[in-house]
Amino acid sequence: MTYSLHFVLLLLAAAGVAGFFGALLGVGGGIFIVPAMVLAFRLPMKIAVAASVVSVIATSNAGGSSYVDQRITNLRLAMFLEVLTTTGALTGSVLALYLNEWVMSLIFAIMLGYMAWAAYTTRKLDDERIASGDFARAQPDRITGYLGLRGSYHDLAASKDVEYVVNGAPVGMSIAYLAGITSGLLGVGGGVLKVSAMNRYMNVPMKVSVGTSKLMIGVTAAVSSILFFLAGLIHFFVVAPVALGTTIGANVGTLVMNRLHSVVLKRIFTVLMLYLAYEMFAKALELGFHWHLPSLG
Amino acid sequence: MPDRTSSLVTPPEPPDTEENVYVDVYRLLIAGMIVSSILFALGIVLSLLHPLYIPLSTRWVRSQYHVTTVVHGIMHGDPTAILLVATVLLILTPVARVVVSIVAFLVDHDYKFVVVTSIVFLVMVITVILGELGLT
Repeated sequence: MTYSLHFVLLLLAAAGVAGFFGALLGVGGGIFIVPAMVLAFRLPMKIAVAASVVSVIATSNAGGSSYVDQRITNLRLAMFLEVLTTTGALTGSVLALYLNEWVMSLIFAIMLGYMAWAAYTTRKLDDERIASGDFARAQPDRITGYLGLRGSYHDLAASKDVEYVVNGAPVGMSIAYLAGITSGLLGVGGGVLKVSAMNRYMNVPMKVSVGTSKLMIGVTAAVSSILFFLAGLIHFFVVAPVALGTTIGANVGTLVMNRLHSVVLKRIFTVLMLYLAYEMFAKALELGFHWHLPSLG
Repeated sequence: MPDRTSSLVTPPEPPDTEENVYVDVYRLLIAGMIVSSILFALGIVLSLLHPLYIPLSTRWVRSQYHVTTVVHGIMHGDPTAILLVATVLLILTPVARVVVSIVAFLVDHDYKFVVVTSIVFLVMVITVILGELGLT
């Protein structure tokens, strides 16, 4: 690989756009930057995944710190679920070391398809749950009761303090483990899974779920990064523009996020993710079986 | 049989020092992000001043893992060493966050969460051991 100004600027720009879009969508840049590195820059899948997972730490630091600042994260809940996400990340990154690149590309394509579906079907139940006080009335389960997992935050939109009692630990823990595997295997943050685990199954308000997830992502990605680093998969010269670009992109994206209308954005991203899913699927067939599907790009 | 109802009726009081935990975590995340970003930018600029061919192999990457090489490289403004340090720093930021949290929970006398957070740290240690054992 010749490290030219051309290569660096393009990779920096791609990572910046990925980080920006990721922040707008409320996910990390991983789901965009990995396909960009593999499809456009023709980097090996494993190098791309390793570089992406390090950049996920950078975006988690960027996004997570602003959420910590707003006090809408639940540090204890984050630590509790991190036991599962880090174990999952270790599982996923070990898998990434041994799986064929075409299998990883195929799994990535499937994940993109799921993400497109998840972005399309996002529900907006939170407002009703806040208004009715459902979050506060829930009964904790054995585990969350023992750990005293609960909390409250001030919701600016509803202009009231929202209390919530965490429950549904078994389901939440299972999804958190799965999110960890996804993160380690595919180099993404796995935020969508973590947020859905907390918001849909653990009675955690959306804003707290998002903030807490951002905080967890960095610790989860650190575990996969440690393993990839020791394996020599983290190529500094690839990581540098990717991490720098996503950090800048994510920071700008977080700034403008609240000023944009999200419904139109989600439709656009759904199409983009379906397109990337198709291209990664084609890449998997090409790497695994030398079959060439027509490119849409 | 453990008394479960008492923990339902009287949940643990939120500790007073929770605010401090948040402040510590916040500063740590910001510091890690800023310092590693500056080093990444510096490394990129330096490497572009003297363009070179870089092998895309894991063997080449791992051949850089020598403390003396890195220290020597930093002294002489070698971009490889600077980028390596930036990468390690970035990876260590969340690790440091976990360690800070263990200490903060200890200060709070919140021993349940000292245990929970220590398990997370243990997973990190196991990862290092597995990585070292399986890859050398």
